[in-house]
Amino acid sequence: MSFDAPTIDYAGLSPVIALTVGLVVIVLAAVFDSVRRFGPALALLTYAVTAGCLIWQWNANLDLVSGSLRIDGLAVTLSLLAVIAAAVAVLLAIGDPSETQAGRSDWLALLTGSLLGMVILAQATSMLTFFVGLELLSIPLYALCGTNLRRRESLESGLKYLIVGSVGSATLLYGLAMIYGASGATGFQAISDGLQAGDGMLSDSLTLVGVGMVAVGLAFKVSIAPFHQWTPDVYQGAPTPVTAFMAVATKAAAFAVFIRFFLVALGPLADQWDVMLAALAALSIVVGNVGALAQTSLKRMLGYSGVAQAGYMLAGIVTATQAGVDALVFYLAAYVAMNVAAFAVVVIRERQNGFSDDISTLRGLGREKPLLAWPLTIAMLALAGLPPTAGFIGKLYLIEALVDDDWTWLAVMIAIGTMISLGYYLRVVATLWMSPAGQAEAGAEIDTASLPPQIAGAQADPFEDSRADRRWYLVAPALIATAAALFFGVIPQPLVDFAQHAGDALSVWIS
Amino acid sequence: MLSSIIWTPLVFGLIGLLVPKRFAAWVAALGAVITLGLAIGVLAGFDPDGGMQYITDVSWIPGLGVDYSLGIDGVSIFLVLLTTIAWIPAICFSAIRGTDRPALYYLMLLAGETSTLGAFLAQDLLLFVLFFDLMIVPFYFLFGIWGRDRGGEEDPERSPGNGPVSVQSATLKMIVFTLIGSLLMLVGAIAAAVIAADGGELTFSIQTIVARGLPEGSQNWIFWFFAAAFLVKMPAFPLHGWMPDSYRAAPLPALAVFSAVLSKVGAYGFLRVVLPMMPDASDLFQSTMLVLAICSILYGSAMAFTKTDLRLVLGFSSVAQLGFITAGIFAFDSTGAEGAVLQMVNHGLVVVPAFLIVAMISERTGSEELGPMGGLAKKAPVFAVIFLIVSMATLAIPASANFIGEFYILNGLFQVDAAWAIVASVGVALAAFYALRMYQLTMHNPLPDGSDSREISLRDALVLVPMVGIVVVLAFCPQLIIHGSEQAVDSSIAIVREVAK
Amino acid sequence: MLHQYLPVLVFAALGILVGGAFATLNLVLGPKRLKGDESSAAIRQMDPYECGLPSEISKTFRFGVSFYLVAMLFILFDIEVVFLYPVGAILKSTDSVFVLAEVVLFVALLFVALIYVWRKGALDWR
Repeated sequence: MSFDAPTIDYAGLSPVIALTVGLVVIVLAAVFDSVRRFGPALALLTYAVTAGCLIWQWNANLDLVSGSLRIDGLAVTLSLLAVIAAAVAVLLAIGDPSETQAGRSDWLALLTGSLLGMVILAQATSMLTFFVGLELLSIPLYALCGTNLRRRESLESGLKYLIVGSVGSATLLYGLAMIYGASGATGFQAISDGLQAGDGMLSDSLTLVGVGMVAVGLAFKVSIAPFHQWTPDVYQGAPTPVTAFMAVATKAAAFAVFIRFFLVALGPLADQWDVMLAALAALSIVVGNVGALAQTSLKRMLGYSGVAQAGYMLAGIVTATQAGVDALVFYLAAYVAMNVAAFAVVVIRERQNGFSDDISTLRGLGREKPLLAWPLTIAMLALAGLPPTAGFIGKLYLIEALVDDDWTWLAVMIAIGTMISLGYYLRVVATLWMSPAGQAEAGAEIDTASLPPQIAGAQADPFEDSRADRRWYLVAPALIATAAALFFGVIPQPLVDFAQHAGDALSVWIS
Repeated sequence: MLSSIIWTPLVFGLIGLLVPKRFAAWVAALGAVITLGLAIGVLAGFDPDGGMQYITDVSWIPGLGVDYSLGIDGVSIFLVLLTTIAWIPAICFSAIRGTDRPALYYLMLLAGETSTLGAFLAQDLLLFVLFFDLMIVPFYFLFGIWGRDRGGEEDPERSPGNGPVSVQSATLKMIVFTLIGSLLMLVGAIAAAVIAADGGELTFSIQTIVARGLPEGSQNWIFWFFAAAFLVKMPAFPLHGWMPDSYRAAPLPALAVFSAVLSKVGAYGFLRVVLPMMPDASDLFQSTMLVLAICSILYGSAMAFTKTDLRLVLGFSSVAQLGFITAGIFAFDSTGAEGAVLQMVNHGLVVVPAFLIVAMISERTGSEELGPMGGLAKKAPVFAVIFLIVSMATLAIPASANFIGEFYILNGLFQVDAAWAIVASVGVALAAFYALRMYQLTMHNPLPDGSDSREISLRDALVLVPMVGIVVVLAFCPQLIIHGSEQAVDSSIAIVREVAK
Repeated sequence: MLHQYLPVLVFAALGILVGGAFATLNLVLGPKRLKGDESSAAIRQMDPYECGLPSEISKTFRFGVSFYLVAMLFILFDIEVVFLYPVGAILKSTDSVFVLAEVVLFVALLFVALIYVWRKGALDWR
């Protein structure tokens, strides 16, 4: 029996290899006391090396491992975003109870594992790597959500995410099976060829049901309405560094495969799915924005806002053009900056007032701690899409891509969604700057009183760090992300180039 | 050159963050004066018949076809001058009195000037939209942080006529109203560029889009996307819903420039973007727009006459004035449009001192309600004279520049249909009523208890007198503006006139 | 196209049929004198798992957490090791260094996991 070893491009695979090695080291660091405290440093080193490998492979455009992974502009750009988000999560988690309770390096190992899944997902060009990447991304995240072992909400969010995520994965897997049945192939390119070669396969109900189920499965992951119900609960319950990571990195990776699967594998079916995705996007914009209006918890509000933002981004896929992909990647990059800024401030505030993320805890922050208030303000203005922030340029980019491809109604939907969103983003800004301080204490007390009883045997969390706003590892991410959101609002061209690098990778498949 | 005009205020605002707090105000004032100097420098080299001048055109976001392109013509130059002039008294007035958190206050005020100047100078459609959106952000903070709740339980000025207003809800209402318009405008602007390009190279240059032209069908909906933004900003009836609350909550110096200049951006947008870019739609909706304008005039005048809060009197008089300006623009007649440009400048120049006077009145009486006021003129002849001049200019007394402006506008309307002109002239008569009522109730009559008829202080006079001086000078030679803007106005309405025939 | 999936349908139908048949037959043929009868035979018939002897374990009995932990770890490592069999069977015939390297890497990763589990104390019976 002869055996042909698969051709593997190790240079192209280097980001995955770097992360895997790093993961092994971190796992081992978790069980040897002498090195445990270096966990964050090891994790950051791993991510730096990974980012270095990704930048090294910036111009790569080739298949790795027999066509099941592919490194190209799309993979590199979106992996970079995920790596940045993970690095921020590591910084924000230093000293966080979730991290210490879960055993430092264990927490970091879970994070790194999830990141590895994301990098694989961003490169996946076969249904097998697609699903493996997705599960590798999800399973550590379920655990991470529950790492704040002494908070009931955290455990609840972990369980909830596990159940809902499994439903999503199962739906997705079912859809993949149907598409395999219709096309007889697992590689994305081969699926496309198979669908076109098969007689009547493009309009066959089997194929279309499969496409629908894959869309639903992915919609669960990126929290597109009406598959978003888990998002606010999980965002609120999970430890905030995890929420920050989940909000941006999961979206980056899942949208990478969303783009690749729909535009490459299901490209021939674009006319069938574009209306479906457009409807999902529109629904998501409305549901997310309206849902956020009534929230008093910042993290819940950001969860609903994430649903709306996912709707905006999905609109980029609807166009099935390169400009749409560019716009999506640009928006995603801007989204990373704005969300990191917002969540970093939430983390700092939570540590200062015994883990309440109620909006009322922000009262008077503009006067007392402008260094915290500004990042949150800029983040809110950017999420609302006001100039001069990257959020405005991102919306501009999306609307341009949509109008260019005759999806003006969806562009108008984005405009309408943005109007609704002003209602809650500006409420935060108003609380920061336009409410007198002093009532904050009362608000916080009521909030702790209304907390559900702690789970049996656990002590109330004594953790409080009044100097959290002086810790560089918490403040630096907020400030850098804010600076980025502003910088790319004024000089967007570098980020436009970044986004177009992603779009160019698909130039073979789409116009 | 134009770039330096736009960015100087912002740079000085940022410098203000670095210097000690007590100097922030004077750094800001210096910045505003330097900006005015630059604007005068541009005026000196300006050729009224030269079309678009001082053109800057740099690629900004090549990936999206957006350019950083600036230019100035006969319409924008006077509005730029108005802007640079109006900000100086507002800043000096605040500087004399001192404010809470000064560095931030002046940064916001100057950022507002930067974005307003940007909107007047942008020649790229998206740059215009960007500056248009940007304008509202600093004013949101100015109104929200330095404004105050009015008519609440503890407010001594509480009166049955005016319900309570909270700063938060007032500012939220303002920003939501204005952004509803400008977001639709963003979609409209992109659609206009994409449709005009028709598969060719995408550019947002206003001139290129005008030259390429838009198909009639698309014009109709894009017209309303733009009109929504501009009418809200003005504000015009029936989109003025945000105005009363935010006017009552706002800090007066910021409100002065807001009312004087930002409302003009809407009118300017019609002249610069809507008429040349969508001539067919403009022609089609001419009557609708004229009806809206006339409604604004009548409604604004009537409300100004009935309101007792001084800010609202001025606010609704602005609605009426902007109605006149819109009517002048949509007369599609060069006389009317020139009158509109003149009137934009006039109104801006008058409103700034008017709001500052309101601030001084409220310092003397402790109230901004007309009811319990009176007698302020007794020991303050200079103050009274200044207010009298401002009031006379507001009511467009013959020989004032406002009179010429309104006369030109009515003249232009007459060319469309005599009926429009006659109805609109009712507004002129009503203006006399509310302006005189305002003056009379504050300055004459016996002085009630608790009020203090105090002469204007020298420093305040130094702020107000130059403004009033400009109003007086303009009354003698309005031709400066009429002639200066003639060529630019004609080229703006040339296309729509062609279509209208 | 869909007729290819006919066997699935047949399989499902058979499953339902056989399962349903047993349940129904039980209902029809089984003894029905349970109510009110306190004899041990009747009680035993109610046991979830009937083997003729009285069950020593009550419904509320809890297994120790350690049991689950070890069972889970066993299954994890067990399944991973199962992968080694097919590779072992073909390793010689493929004559490929690549395959050997892959398997060594695989085992090495398993070894890391084992170290983690061991050092964490998950293998200690508590």
